[in-house]
Amino acid sequence: MANTEAALKEATTLIDGALGAALVDYTSGMALGTVGGGKDLDLTVAAAGNTDVVRAKVRTMEMLGIQDEIEDILITLGTQYHLIRLLRSRGANGLFLYLALDKNRANLAMARLQLRRIEADLEI
Amino acid sequence: MSAARAAGAGTRVVSPMLLRLAGERATGALLRDHGTLYLVDGRIVHAESPVAPGPDILLTGGGRRPRARLGDGELEICLLGALYDAAFFALHPGSRPARFRYGAVPRTTPVRPVSALDVQRETLRRRELLDSVWPYPAVDTAPVVPRPAAPGQTAGLRQRALLEAADGVRTPAGLAWALGRPAFHTLLDVRRLAAAGLVGTPPEPGPPAPAPYPLTVREPAGEPVRETRPALSAWVGDIASDPDTALLRRLRDALEAHL
Repeated sequence: MANTEAALKEATTLIDGALGAALVDYTSGMALGTVGGGKDLDLTVAAAGNTDVVRAKVRTMEMLGIQDEIEDILITLGTQYHLIRLLRSRGANGLFLYLALDKNRANLAMARLQLRRIEADLEI
Repeated sequence: MSAARAAGAGTRVVSPMLLRLAGERATGALLRDHGTLYLVDGRIVHAESPVAPGPDILLTGGGRRPRARLGDGELEICLLGALYDAAFFALHPGSRPARFRYGAVPRTTPVRPVSALDVQRETLRRRELLDSVWPYPAVDTAPVVPRPAAPGQTAGLRQRALLEAADGVRTPAGLAWALGRPAFHTLLDVRRLAAAGLVGTPPEPGPPAPAPYPLTVREPAGEPVRETRPALSAWVGDIASDPDTALLRRLRDALEAHL
């Protein structure tokens, strides 16, 4: 039952190694809320850019005829993990949670679990 | 989304009056040609536009639960999305000067207030996004006319629903209301479909010299634009009517020289 800012704040404080998080509307690419980030990681730019990642994957699945949903997308960089978790909204407009993690400090399995909990908190 | 970062992001301003009112920490309603922005202490708490469906339409149109049964998070997301959607259209350049009614408050419960700079930054980003997809603003207001798909060409689920609702009369805004979707999202889908050739692109009603022959038959206000030729931008018509054969030959020779 948290609001978006509180849920994102929770994401960045509870999840070890979190560098920043954003809640993103993936049709428009708008960040509905951001927490963390900074000059090294502009979360509004990351939000807009990652909508293309999600759209490409959704489209590929449709082309392949895979009748399934994307739970999350993991992008592994040299020093960071970027985790995209699609939210199951009932409407036509998809949302995703975007989380950037420090690879050295993060526990990926825990981070995924926490993201799932935050989604439940948002009651999407 | 810090205000300082947004301010440094660009020098373009969508509404000097909005920024001035934000600086004054004004409370009231900014009435513009295409919609109204409500401010409390200089921050935007609500926006309305006849183009953009309100939260109630968005919630029921998407087949979702009535507002009473929504979680706080989902309600906030919906209201915030509707605010940015209406603000995008309210801030569209109008022909008349904007007015400000001091003290006016919206009838609805306000959402999390957002800063004028955030709304400006997002509005500019959306304009750029539309133009990067397909730089023909004429598709935004013309009736959406589906075109046959090329062999093997497909559209996504959401776009297919949009194409099915496009009856040749509804504009993108009309489709947004019919489908219960944000108007900007619908515009973006229509531009993507136009770029893919799945809906027609009407000629731009440009101020430059008129095309040498009429590209469309424009009906009286409110009526759909009937296409008499394949939809293309007006400048294509200008060129097509006067093919410079010598130029085309030089172009061909140059291309051949490179291949």
